[in-house]
Amino acid sequence: MERSTTVISVLVSKEQAEARKSEGENCNSLDLNMVSRFDQQKTKHQLFHVSLSLATILLCMAYMQYRRNWAHLGSFWDSLVVPIVFLGELLKVVLARFYGRVEDGVLSLKQRQKKSSYFTPKEILGGITLQFLCTLLYAFICIILGAPVLGNYEQTFVLALLMTLLTVSPTVFLLGGGGALQVCFCEKPDFVTKCEDTALNLFKYNALGGILGAWAGSVVAPLDWGRDWQAYPIPNVIGALLGSALGNIYACTHVLYATAKVYMTKKRS
Amino acid sequence: MNFTYLFVLIWLAFLISGGVLLFSRGFLLARVSKTETSTCRRLSTNPHDEYVLSPEVVNEIFKDVNASANLCLPQKSRVIILVVDALKYEFGLFRDNVSEPLPYENKLGFLNELLEQNPDHARLMRFKADPPTTTMQRLKGLTTGSLPTFIDIGSNFASPEINEDNVIDQIASSNLPMVFLGDGTWTDLYPRRFKRAYSYPSFDIFDLDSVDNQIKKHLPKELSSDDWQVLVAHFLGVDHCGHKHGPMHEEMARKLSEMNDVIRSVVEAMDNDTTLLVMGDHGMTASGDHGGDTDDETNALLFAYSKQHRFYGNDSGSDTEMLQQIDLVPTLATILGVPIPYSNLGLINFNIVPDIPVPYLNKFQTLLLHSWQNAQQIYRYFFQYAFENKRTFNVEEMDRLETEFILLSHRVQTIYNEAAFKNFVRDLNVNLRDILGTCREIWVRFDPTQMSHGLLFSFLPVFFIFLLVNNSRPADYEKIFKAKETFYAYLINVAAGVFGYRYYKNFSFKTEEHGVIFFTAVTSAAVFSFHVLRHWTNIANNWAAVRRFAHMPTRLLLFAAMAVFFSNSFVIQEAKILSYLLAATILLLSHELLRLSARIDFKTKFKASQFLRSTALRLVLASILAICLIRFAYTLFRCREEQGNCSDFTNSGGAGFSLKKPGSGKTYILAVVVIVVYTTLTRLYLRSCGNLTGNSPNVLLARYGPTVASICAGGHVLLANSSIKNIQRSHIDVLALVIYALLLLQIIVVSWAPLMIFVLPPRNANTVIVNGSESIVPEIFRKMKRMYEGNDEERRNAIPVVYGLATVYSSIVITFGVFLALVMVVLLEPRASIGLIVCIAVAAILLSIHGILRYRTATSFETCVQPTFTAIVGWFLLAHFCFFATSHQTTLSQIEWRAAFVGRTTGIGQSNLISGVLVILNTFCGPIFFFCMYSLLSTETYSLFALFPNLIRSCRSSSAGGKVDPTTTMTDLANEAVGFDMTRGELTLYEYEDVFLGTGFKLATQFFMLQGLKVFCAMMACTIHCRHLMVWKIFAPRFIYEALATFVSLPSLILGYLLLLRIHRAVDTLIKRINKTKVL
Repeated sequence: MERSTTVISVLVSKEQAEARKSEGENCNSLDLNMVSRFDQQKTKHQLFHVSLSLATILLCMAYMQYRRNWAHLGSFWDSLVVPIVFLGELLKVVLARFYGRVEDGVLSLKQRQKKSSYFTPKEILGGITLQFLCTLLYAFICIILGAPVLGNYEQTFVLALLMTLLTVSPTVFLLGGGGALQVCFCEKPDFVTKCEDTALNLFKYNALGGILGAWAGSVVAPLDWGRDWQAYPIPNVIGALLGSALGNIYACTHVLYATAKVYMTKKRS
Repeated sequence: MNFTYLFVLIWLAFLISGGVLLFSRGFLLARVSKTETSTCRRLSTNPHDEYVLSPEVVNEIFKDVNASANLCLPQKSRVIILVVDALKYEFGLFRDNVSEPLPYENKLGFLNELLEQNPDHARLMRFKADPPTTTMQRLKGLTTGSLPTFIDIGSNFASPEINEDNVIDQIASSNLPMVFLGDGTWTDLYPRRFKRAYSYPSFDIFDLDSVDNQIKKHLPKELSSDDWQVLVAHFLGVDHCGHKHGPMHEEMARKLSEMNDVIRSVVEAMDNDTTLLVMGDHGMTASGDHGGDTDDETNALLFAYSKQHRFYGNDSGSDTEMLQQIDLVPTLATILGVPIPYSNLGLINFNIVPDIPVPYLNKFQTLLLHSWQNAQQIYRYFFQYAFENKRTFNVEEMDRLETEFILLSHRVQTIYNEAAFKNFVRDLNVNLRDILGTCREIWVRFDPTQMSHGLLFSFLPVFFIFLLVNNSRPADYEKIFKAKETFYAYLINVAAGVFGYRYYKNFSFKTEEHGVIFFTAVTSAAVFSFHVLRHWTNIANNWAAVRRFAHMPTRLLLFAAMAVFFSNSFVIQEAKILSYLLAATILLLSHELLRLSARIDFKTKFKASQFLRSTALRLVLASILAICLIRFAYTLFRCREEQGNCSDFTNSGGAGFSLKKPGSGKTYILAVVVIVVYTTLTRLYLRSCGNLTGNSPNVLLARYGPTVASICAGGHVLLANSSIKNIQRSHIDVLALVIYALLLLQIIVVSWAPLMIFVLPPRNANTVIVNGSESIVPEIFRKMKRMYEGNDEERRNAIPVVYGLATVYSSIVITFGVFLALVMVVLLEPRASIGLIVCIAVAAILLSIHGILRYRTATSFETCVQPTFTAIVGWFLLAHFCFFATSHQTTLSQIEWRAAFVGRTTGIGQSNLISGVLVILNTFCGPIFFFCMYSLLSTETYSLFALFPNLIRSCRSSSAGGKVDPTTTMTDLANEAVGFDMTRGELTLYEYEDVFLGTGFKLATQFFMLQGLKVFCAMMACTIHCRHLMVWKIFAPRFIYEALATFVSLPSLILGYLLLLRIHRAVDTLIKRINKTKVL
């Protein structure tokens, strides 16, 4: 009895240690790096990235304000939200490429291979298939979470498309289909360059915020206010946008906090 | 092995339920409604009738006024009643010197004109309502003359129809035709009473005009016809305008002007012997809402007008300024010459009774006769009520009132002039108002003391559970709750209870119950805080070990589930919200699992083929299946009135116990198939665990019982709903009775010999071990096994081989669940029984996902046996989701009363207790079932492991390197994975018995905590919203359901724990016996 309790306590302490370790791993690596040494290029990249996503969402909001009527958000041809978000994500990838250009000289063999195969038909096809499957998956999830089974297909499709754009697409654009799968399911693959890693970390916030926002958007659906924007995909679309905005703001504060810390220590010394 | 934990559980359950009970006593005002009706001899002026008014009759009456009960004087006039919903008193006042009137001021100018033209023919009075000031309750009050409370016990829940005696019924039974126009609430309350009814639904609160326009369309036609004696028109526009815009809006001016025009046209069209009554049923607050008891809400307007006849004046002794709303009933009865309804408590107000002389009677005699009839009726009702519901009223008060009445009844004999009459009537009125006051005190007011105490005392135990139990470790409970200390705690509580029972008056509590609950709760809180202080270091340490923001997503889910109570639209849509949250819980679990296993399964390279073969994918698919099942349950939900286009609801009114909606044949077939699949699958599961081998009583029962029960259940589903008429009811009943009997048998067997294992006789040991692996997993004691391998041939005989030992705990719980589920299936209607089985399937998936997740994350026995918070919340949500999935709704009119008659139609066991139990089992089948089986959450990990040992190997093999001989590494693998030997399945639980029992206890208290929190939120919502428009329609029923669910689920949890203890005890005996035989 005595022995078993001690064993348990040892195990528990081990568990705590492990938990702490995993917490550290889960934690975004950017602030760990930040504390140790300050990477000006990386910070710039991060800030541009975040402001780009915020600008995209602001643009979407401005567009919605301009149209006044939110009811069109659920239609595919009539709403510009999906194209705006699509362009925003593309720009982010271009940004990552732009900052990645500095590292071109120091790439490892694998990274070089990966880079050269970026525009091959196989990669492009794989990427498109992956995104298409993801859209289907999201649509299915929408339906099993309560969207109408029969009817409202267009709305469900728009929502699924937006979710794909916010979560999977950026990674696919950056790394291609196979790369995205590896990033999602494996430990950090070795073909990811430093700059891509930075972007991936920021994409994570974007995606998480988008998913949670879309999920939480449903909160207004049952209310009896009788507004037209309570119709099915609108709260979820707006929730997804706002959620990803919040995720980006959170990431932004992290970056700024780390920068400020570095700045303060520099000043003090 | 002791029962201390059980007693602690009972103690906690008592505390929580006590708090809830106290709150409900303060919040839900109960009145027992009586179904007796008044009758009277109608004294007619027509000489051909039975009782003709003649001088002789009058003389006889006044010889002994007391003996002349139940008389009705002739009808005085026809009556037009215009009810203008929410017509506030201020709306009718006319102020001359206002240059810019507010939107609601001076709009009813016609009333003022009439008042000024002939003041003796018109009356404008304050019409005082009793809270709750909602239209439904007000209409009840306006027609029965009693004080309506939320629950009129004994009234028919299944339909809103009033079965208490009321003025509408009296009018109808006196053959006076009535015509009705307007708000459909009237025809819900009084179906088939009106000669013609133009009724329109009142749900759309934002529609100001459509009902009123319809009335205006039909009103002129009805006014010109003369085949009615009473005409009722109920306008809704003003009320809806108040809700939508408030009284200060221009729309209000428009609606009131419209009303003015309506009144003008009615006055112009009505004939000379008609009395017009314009009234509001309640007022409105400054914001235009109503429901509470402020002056703004209770002061409505009453206007009376009679073209030809004057009203009785001041000399009648009635109040000229104010009319209580309950006084309308006797007044109306007087005007129409019908009996005053049995349960009326109001007084006749002669100010609005037209002064039409009755032949052979002078004025004061007429008034005296009316007043005395009224007084006798009130006394009859009041004393009858007090006699049948003892302890409702104060005894001294009752004595005083009775003495006064006797004095008055002597005085009434000696009144021969008007002065004496005036004196008498004054005293009589004072006395009758006393009675009203006594009743009102009991029936109308919320009791804030009881409500706040209820809130506090249901919160305290929850709080202490959180502090003391949730933040301690299972192994420590033995130190916290020692048997002796628990015994003392019980003693102290009993002492406090007795103290409260004896001295409740000294603390100005109203009932003994309040005293008992108050003092036990306070002492228990003291005891708990003593425990907390004593173990504070431990608690603080454990608390600090919890990670910051741990379980945050789950907590948010829980928060959302609790927040449902605070908004009426969320309560209306609760079914969907719960399923959304439940789906989120399952997604959360599978996400965690996927994250963990993806890391382990694919180190560096993602391979699609490997992914397709992995357990993770299978589990994800299983969880998606679970969510699909939840989505499927949408089709089983029953909608409620407020949701609009709800077809269930329109059918539920009317006849009380009929089936709501006859399902199609497909539903029945599907139900039968689902039942059969369920029993077959559990049977297969149990067989593959080796629990169906041998012939111990429980094994025999589990082998044949479910088959028989499912055949009976299927037969019952098909026969009870079949269209063939000539099946004898008793034959169908037998099927249900067989299932009840099987559950009883199961309970007996479980308490006598629960174990479902088979100890193989030693002689056959080797043969069976070799051959017995087709589908049975013979679980061998590892210790024995080592001995077997290490030792020589002749020891072989001593090895006991036990079938089903790996699932020794869960198998019994599952079998018990099967019988319980089948009883519920037979009680539920076919559509709902599909829902129950769907929920069970979801539960099974939840259990397996969680089981696998648990042993991938667990690091020690303690963490392994304690389920994750997410799983607990998931199980809790599932239990409540099942309520909705089994076609229930939280409205009082949608209780499934049919369940009370399953298997009892031929007159077996005519007791209300059994009916109640059956209805409760039907309504709360979800909470009861899932809370009875809660221990599966902690045992299922082990049985899963015993069934599929490959799971753990697959997830660890990559880290352990190359394949090693499976038999030797199994234990080591388990040791490495979870820190202890898991290969023995649930037998491990026995070895760490104190931690295991402690965890069972902890789990039960955690469910207590969740349930307590939920009911606390329901109570809180009721307190916050007690003035809300929808409080009696939405929040109060929701609270009632939640309170009942609490009263049901706490005992179910205790039952689940008891089951666990019983099994544990049996395992204990078994192991001791095996050890003994081994030694011998």
